[in-house]
Amino acid sequence: MFERRLISHVDWVLFGAVLAIAGFGLAMIYSTTFDVIRGTVGPQFWTQLYAVGLGLFALLICLVVDYRRLAERSLAIYIALALLLLYVLLFGVTAGGARRWINLGVFNLQPSEFAKIALALTVAMFFAENRHGAREVRDLLFAAGFLLVFAVLIAREPDLGTAVTLVPIFLGIAFVAGLRTRFLAWLIVLALVAAPVAWAFALKDYQKSRIETFLDPEKDAQGAGYQQIQARITVGSGGLTGKGYMQGTQGQFKFLPVAHNDFIYSVLAEELGFVGVLVTLGLYLLVIVRALDAAKLAKDRLGAYLVVGLVSGFSFQVIYNITMSAGLAPVKGLTLPLMSYGGSSMIATLASFGLILNVRMRRFTN
Amino acid sequence: MERDRRHLPFRLGVLRYGAVAVFAALGVTFWLLQVPSHQMYLEMAENNHQRTLMLRAPRGMLFDRDGRVLVENRDAFSISLVREHTKDLDDTLRRLSTVVGVDEQELRSLVARRRREPRYRPIELVPDASPAQLAAVLSRRLDFPDVIVEQVPTRRYPADDMAAHVFGYVGQVTEDQLTRQQFGEVRPGSIVGQAGLEFSHNALLMGRDGARRVVVNSLGREIETVGELPPEQGRRVMLTVDLDLQRAAEEGFRALGFWGAAVVLDPRNGEVLSMVSLPAYDPNRFVSGIDRATWSDLNTDPLRPLQNRAIQGRYSPGSTFKIAVAVAALEEGIATPDFRVTCRGAAVFYGRPFQCHLKGGHGSVDMRHAIEKSCNVYFYTLGNMVGIDRLHKWSTALGLGVRTGIDLPHEVEGLMPSSEWKRRRMGERWYPGETISVAIGQGQVSVTPISLAVMMATIANGGTRYVPHLLKAVDEGRGWTSVTPPAPAAIVPMRPDHVSALRDGLWLVVNGAGTGRRGQIPGRDVGGKTGTAQVISIEGGKRAAGRTDKDLRDHGWFVFFAPASAPEIAGVVFAEHSEHGYLAAPIAKHVMETYFAKKEGRPLPPVPVPPPVVVAEVAAAAPRLPGEPNE
Repeated sequence: MFERRLISHVDWVLFGAVLAIAGFGLAMIYSTTFDVIRGTVGPQFWTQLYAVGLGLFALLICLVVDYRRLAERSLAIYIALALLLLYVLLFGVTAGGARRWINLGVFNLQPSEFAKIALALTVAMFFAENRHGAREVRDLLFAAGFLLVFAVLIAREPDLGTAVTLVPIFLGIAFVAGLRTRFLAWLIVLALVAAPVAWAFALKDYQKSRIETFLDPEKDAQGAGYQQIQARITVGSGGLTGKGYMQGTQGQFKFLPVAHNDFIYSVLAEELGFVGVLVTLGLYLLVIVRALDAAKLAKDRLGAYLVVGLVSGFSFQVIYNITMSAGLAPVKGLTLPLMSYGGSSMIATLASFGLILNVRMRRFTN
Repeated sequence: MERDRRHLPFRLGVLRYGAVAVFAALGVTFWLLQVPSHQMYLEMAENNHQRTLMLRAPRGMLFDRDGRVLVENRDAFSISLVREHTKDLDDTLRRLSTVVGVDEQELRSLVARRRREPRYRPIELVPDASPAQLAAVLSRRLDFPDVIVEQVPTRRYPADDMAAHVFGYVGQVTEDQLTRQQFGEVRPGSIVGQAGLEFSHNALLMGRDGARRVVVNSLGREIETVGELPPEQGRRVMLTVDLDLQRAAEEGFRALGFWGAAVVLDPRNGEVLSMVSLPAYDPNRFVSGIDRATWSDLNTDPLRPLQNRAIQGRYSPGSTFKIAVAVAALEEGIATPDFRVTCRGAAVFYGRPFQCHLKGGHGSVDMRHAIEKSCNVYFYTLGNMVGIDRLHKWSTALGLGVRTGIDLPHEVEGLMPSSEWKRRRMGERWYPGETISVAIGQGQVSVTPISLAVMMATIANGGTRYVPHLLKAVDEGRGWTSVTPPAPAAIVPMRPDHVSALRDGLWLVVNGAGTGRRGQIPGRDVGGKTGTAQVISIEGGKRAAGRTDKDLRDHGWFVFFAPASAPEIAGVVFAEHSEHGYLAAPIAKHVMETYFAKKEGRPLPPVPVPPPVVVAEVAAAAPRLPGEPNE
């Protein structure tokens, strides 16, 4: 199944960039969770380090198994994930008002992170197998059903942030699979119409207040707007070269909540400055561009669609989180892939890069 | 299928350049935030995590002339609010009010008064908190992340309100004082002197507040100290006051049951050895902000405990004024000490009879004996001969009717009438008949107790009118350095033989057949003079309404110095409603005995016992001791 010569086709640049970003993430988690009084680093750092190890293992597995073999079983994988999500809804571990995790003893597994891969596999397989790709409305609606089931299950946890990241995965694949431009325009119009309706009926109060706060942060300077103002102060006070690693005051003194998580990039900007921002933005862009290269080089449509699906979800989350880190988007529980603290996210993200490397690696095989 | 393949590279390209464009936009955004706006955000971040805490400087301690502590400092703890970390101000104040047991409305108004200050500056809500209040707040630290406990050096004044009016009290600088820059550069919330020495020597005593710059986390907890400017304690100040004499005078008043005032001076230099004003107040109640109820009680108390009677009370001098009349007559060459007048119990001036207090009259008396017996007729005659303007000139020279210039705030001046004063004030000429009343210290003339003390000191030292003062030495950090005393206010040109004649007369008052025999100390040659300040004649009948008989009784004066030949101590005792000056004399006697006992290293005398006979309710029934005629 695995041929030795395939190793020479691994995209080491992409792999190196992914590792470099994860390294930055570990360093920032170390900085933000370091306990000055006890002189020790927080337990989150070690958890994240284990997650990177496990993630690399997952990456290796996703690399050696031919993605076509996986895609053939995508429906089974999809159903398994749906059952896991259902299980979470019924018996999951609750934390912070949401039921998102399955207790595995050693750590808590967050199935919604893996649902992204499952959705990408399933939708890519569906459009690749379909003779018309994503050109027909009928097929689009059918494929959208896969999205809808996951999105509803995840949104019910509730985890609206993760549910929303499923949308770019689906749209990304549909787009490269030949979604008609006219239909794309209709989708945009529909979204614009649906927004006020969602505002009135679908959104919960805390979700509304987050958006309201974003539009006018000063209105609630001590509450939700506080985070947005603090994020901007954190980034702005970093300056060109930053305050120095572990010298940041905003993150160290907890003016920003969940600095090791949602706002890790703000702290990076504070401590490493604009220079650090440029380096990391460059790394992320490099990862995205190299991944899109893999899609272009893919031997078949399945490979191309799979890569685009995975990279769309990844890019959306990166762009949204970094924008939020600068205080320029509503505060949302969306983490920064490869950097933010979170074991499941790290493992799933590394696994998806395993698949991307997989597609590129097997571009010459039959 | 071929068509789809054609689409794929194009759309991948769209995604690729889209990603590049978005990341370029992100790069520009971060550049805008981090480079051009860097300074602004940096300052915001600084304010976020650093805070300046004021370190209040302990005020300088006050010592008596022997180096004994009079006023010191203690550590108090105050409970303050830092609004920067307050989520819900109403809620915090409501909960805090129940925890510390302070009215919520009061807390609210404290916050409202300082709402315009920076949010990180603590607002003192419970100054000088009790141990119970501190324990209640400290045990609920987690419920009150925005409430801090600060250690504040606070004034401690002596017990029993001792010398309260001399020390005065401290309090937070008022908004009015801030706008007028009365104390120079002080910040809102600073503690400054608001009365007494604390006020007049505030610059010396206040020291300089320090500050500590600390790093705090988002909960307001201090993490580390970045920099510290240590507070500078105020100067140690040695007063001219003698603790023993101060105590003796106050004990004297209490033992005899009088309110009133006393000033004891060293006639050789104008140092104030003791200053009493009773009833007094407890300055300790002011140190951390007096509550409204206590303040209004003090202000509306008919006994006026806040008034320093020694420098702010104006009273009719009564017979003590005869000394000034004698000086004027002698120095103007109108009479010699041997000038005699025959007293028949009354005399007629300008068609109106004027009474002497001894019905049968004193017979023929010279000046010494006229002073001894306090003969009204003699001084009517002298006053008539001198005239109001020369009387004004000499009594003013002796310090009556003018401020003495003591280093205490809000001293008032008495009134020494003159023909010019009457013209200006009432647009009328002075009638010579009015001079007759003034000559025995009645009528328009009024004095402060301290001005009478200055007059006595001036006569005691032969004519130098010193400015009474309270500062003896200041410690600038290298031990005690004497303070240059103020230059004398005036040199009164008095002939030595005149001065000794006056001293003889005043000696006779105490040691002869005079009214001051209760001030007598065997072997000490005390000189003195009693006086009665009429309450009714000055205030008029209107004040009689609703007052008890005691309120209507006259005030008693006793002015004194000792020893008469070379006085070392001089002063005045003013006993309210004591009716007779001789009843004030035992207080002066106790002070002088204490002075001499101390000087000679003998044990201090015991507190005088109250007179055996309780002072009668009404003037007519007052007991009269043999040899102590009414004035």
